[in-house]
Amino acid sequence: MRGVRTQVKQPADPVERHLAALADALHGPARAKRRMLDDMRHGLQDTAAAHAESGVPYPAAALWAVREFGSVRELAPVCQQELTIAQARHTARAVALTAPLLVVCWLLLRTAAGSGPILPPVLHILAAVGTATVLLAAGVLAATGALARRLPALVRLPQAVAWGGTAASTAMAVTAPALATCAALAAEWPLLCAGVLAAASHATVAPAARACRRCVRLTHLQPTRVTSPPAR
Amino acid sequence: MKTDAVRGHLDGLLLAVLEPGPLHGYAIITAVKSRSSGALELRTGTIYPALNRLERLGLLRSSWQTTGERRRRCYELTDAGRTSLDGERAAWREFTAVIGAVLDPAGPHGSPA
Repeated sequence: MRGVRTQVKQPADPVERHLAALADALHGPARAKRRMLDDMRHGLQDTAAAHAESGVPYPAAALWAVREFGSVRELAPVCQQELTIAQARHTARAVALTAPLLVVCWLLLRTAAGSGPILPPVLHILAAVGTATVLLAAGVLAATGALARRLPALVRLPQAVAWGGTAASTAMAVTAPALATCAALAAEWPLLCAGVLAAASHATVAPAARACRRCVRLTHLQPTRVTSPPAR
Repeated sequence: MKTDAVRGHLDGLLLAVLEPGPLHGYAIITAVKSRSSGALELRTGTIYPALNRLERLGLLRSSWQTTGERRRRCYELTDAGRTSLDGERAAWREFTAVIGAVLDPAGPHGSPA
């Protein structure tokens, strides 16, 4: 029996084909990526239209626009750098979003602190993770926004966010079942609520941290290489 | 002029062509080409991540505008962008004066012997 080969249909328009290849090579927050590709689409369409207006037939005009624009190999690294920073900011926002959950979680644990020997260490871990991640998130949002004009380029910042977010989500993943077990043993509802909040924090941060790790990996895999456009 | 030579100055070039008013991506590219009389060779795709970065840094702001039948994202300088452009110009003048004085001592930047 012959195997079934799945073939992805390539767009016929050179502009769309180029953008589809670029989209495949880039990773980052969907909104930021779509916005960048939309901007590029408009630029390519305008360039192709300008060539077509000077008398070049459309397919050749579109091909010429694509060639002037730069190859995927040339553009992906510079685009990915920006998308990696966008993803780091997205991850930092996800971490910041869990701050209120962690505070409530910590307060619930304090009220139930006498319920078992495991609680004091969990309380300290939670306080440390909560404080560290919120400080990291605030620092990243400030350092990659308007404040970045006054700071040296912090190349390792997305990496710090990726691994900081991973550490926070792992801590939450460990804390949640520990609290659920304590809640079952001590029959204390605040512990169960704290466990649910820890699980919710993990569910919020883990996908964003994973996406950030992927973007950081891609940024390191793609060395920046920009050459001059071809002579007409 | 090759792309490698342009790369370090891309931010300044983009800020400079946006000084008179808002432009969309393709208009920015044609403005750079026109101001340099076509001497600057640039992979046009590289300006989009650069515009993105300048907007993130608060040097540009963008909005949708309709030009003809097309809707395009247009970029314009913010106050911080104008200040940054002034800084880029001052740094460029200082740089060319210093290098000019070394390369061409008899030229306008050269010191009298």
